[in-house]
Amino acid sequence: MKLEFTPEQEALRKELRAYFKKLMTPELVDEVSQTPGEGGGPLFWKAMRQLGKDGWIGVGWPKELGGRGMSEMEQFIFVEEVMRAGFPFPFLTTESVGPILAANAAPRLKKLLVPKILGGEIIIAIGYSEPGAGTDLASLKTTARKEGNEWVINGQKMWTSLAHHADWLWVAARTNPDPEVKKHKGISMFLVPATAKGYSLSPVHTLGDVRTNATYYDNVRVPEDHLVGEVDGGWKMITSQLNRERLSLVNVGSFAQLFNNVTKWAKDTKLADGTRVIDQPWVQINLAKARTGLEALKLICYRQAWSMTVGELSMQDASAAKVYGTEFFVELYRLLGEVLGQSSVLHMDSKGAVLRGRLEMLYRTASIITFGGGTNEIQRDIIAMAGLWMPRAKR
Amino acid sequence: MDFSFNETQKEVQGLARQMLTDLATVERLNAIDKQEDRFDADLWKQLAEAGLLGVAIDEKLGGMGFGFTELALFVEEVGRTVAPVPVVPVLVSTALPIQKFGSATLKKAWLPKIASGESLVTAALMETGNEDPATPKATAKAKGKNLLVSGTKVCVPFAKQSDAILVSAKTSKGVVVVLVDPKAKGVKLTRQVSTTREPWYEVVMKDVLVPEAAIVVKADKGAAAMKWVSERTMAALCAMQIGVSDKSMRMTASYACERQQFGVAIGTFQAVQHRAANCYMDVECLKLTTYQAVSLLDSGRDATNEVAIAKIWAGDTGHRVSYAAQHLHGGFGIDRDYSLWRYSLWARQIEMTLGTSARLLATLGERIAAGKAFAE
Repeated sequence: MKLEFTPEQEALRKELRAYFKKLMTPELVDEVSQTPGEGGGPLFWKAMRQLGKDGWIGVGWPKELGGRGMSEMEQFIFVEEVMRAGFPFPFLTTESVGPILAANAAPRLKKLLVPKILGGEIIIAIGYSEPGAGTDLASLKTTARKEGNEWVINGQKMWTSLAHHADWLWVAARTNPDPEVKKHKGISMFLVPATAKGYSLSPVHTLGDVRTNATYYDNVRVPEDHLVGEVDGGWKMITSQLNRERLSLVNVGSFAQLFNNVTKWAKDTKLADGTRVIDQPWVQINLAKARTGLEALKLICYRQAWSMTVGELSMQDASAAKVYGTEFFVELYRLLGEVLGQSSVLHMDSKGAVLRGRLEMLYRTASIITFGGGTNEIQRDIIAMAGLWMPRAKR
Repeated sequence: MDFSFNETQKEVQGLARQMLTDLATVERLNAIDKQEDRFDADLWKQLAEAGLLGVAIDEKLGGMGFGFTELALFVEEVGRTVAPVPVVPVLVSTALPIQKFGSATLKKAWLPKIASGESLVTAALMETGNEDPATPKATAKAKGKNLLVSGTKVCVPFAKQSDAILVSAKTSKGVVVVLVDPKAKGVKLTRQVSTTREPWYEVVMKDVLVPEAAIVVKADKGAAAMKWVSERTMAALCAMQIGVSDKSMRMTASYACERQQFGVAIGTFQAVQHRAANCYMDVECLKLTTYQAVSLLDSGRDATNEVAIAKIWAGDTGHRVSYAAQHLHGGFGIDRDYSLWRYSLWARQIEMTLGTSARLLATLGERIAAGKAFAE
């Protein structure tokens, strides 16, 4: 047991920090601040391609797939630093769908898409949820039926985030309508190009100013090798993808930076009586609580990355990371918002906005994370069942 | 970054778990509770024979020669069984500083006897109104090459049963660390009753003569040495809290699977499962922050922030898990014929010892303000 980075990993962190200092030009920061967490602008895409060209996106991917051949830990370090830098990195494409796709897609699609993922050229949006299938994902109704050497997909998906920037969609559809078959055993995964005929989308605007989408599949036809993995074998890919997603969602990078920024602000800002904000005991307590929670989150993330490296990622730990991380974020935004006080509710477009209005925006978006990516109640069920061997609840 | 235990660590953990599970049974704990002192002398001897008391003591001095990580894993197992053995005061707070800072003579005099179980030793880390042993109120003044120590220490575990007490005292030149003989002239011990019934004492010292040979650390380095002792003791208490809270949580999960109400096991209720799941996350956070602190200390790196953070988690996790365990057990949780009650007492004692969450949050906050605790 040695819970320290190796000298090589420390060097990598330093290198990345210097790299992002250069990459994040004021113009790029301005552009990405307009669409928080989303990207999609011209400078965003330029930076994405640069990340790809410089070999960062695939730092922990195997060399034969075009990566640098380092481990999941180095991959995690990269993502932590990209998030710390405030770049809206499409981690679901690269960290979550990407590796599952690389392991399961047909050779032609793998050859087509993996270089584009590692090159920073595409975004893949995830089509799981439907109007009637959220937490109970296995009840999804979108169908795919085989016609000749094509699959024909019909249905509607909800909360297809980033679909308006996406080149491809990762879509779960029912391939076995037999009511005798368990519902999660009749689902398959498909890769749908956003240019496919019959595919369309409409925007859903959310409280946090983040746009998401409803996507529609009206007799969308894709070649047969767009099926990923086996027919009716989609569920395992969905759960592994979600386990990976749960780690990416709670990556400590951007939150560590937020903590440091608020700390710096509290040092640089004076109250009317001439004392600094950070000299107030209640401010120090709030920051200490935030720091204590962050430290645990950091270790949860590193342990997960290490588990993936040695091939032991367990479902209870993925769920525990998701629940702890997302509930801590809500608390963190409050603790840090309290430090800013009244200014913490000034919108980024307002006169007097502090730290680009980030905390004002974050507490509005935070309400998504405790249910998004698998609601926390179900995650707690998983922890109790897989981590503490308690009975599977009847539903 | 390596989160796995190596072969040695697994062996120490396995040996400790096996012995403590076999020997610190509920029947045995009940019998020990009838004694005046909560101490299982036979078990202590058996642990010595298995080599566990010397796990972090040099091989040349009768130990196994492993590091702080192995010792912490042993302490965790003691927490898991709430065994009545003073591993933290003897092996962590006292043996480690003797080994690290003591003269060759001092080491030879004490460490083999500690490893063999022949001698108990302890450390006096608390004073009334002062929980930082690096800034003691007790005083020492020179008498030739010897010292005369005066002052009052409180909540000293096993003081009467020990052959030496590690004491810090201030002099005009700084803090000294010495070994005081509890039977020496001028020492008065008064029994204190702690919540776990671990034997505690108030130690009043009045011009107690400490021979030069019993000085562990001289005045120029004593404060730093006591910070060293404090951090390792805190980390060890965190390790013990892992054992205590992990076991309480697992007892609770098992109980909830057995206990039937309304015709079903209460463990099938989502409300019960979710409270247990919250315990699971708390225990994970305690484990990870503690192992990080232990690992850094074992490497000899600065771990001031990491130890404080681990101890905050030990306080919070201990508190939340023990009350959840008590609550979900219903009446069984408070029945002295069932063993959960002991875990609750230990969780509380560890929570309140050598830095509570509130005080450590204040300390950490000061360090953040001083630019010493960035989120790297």
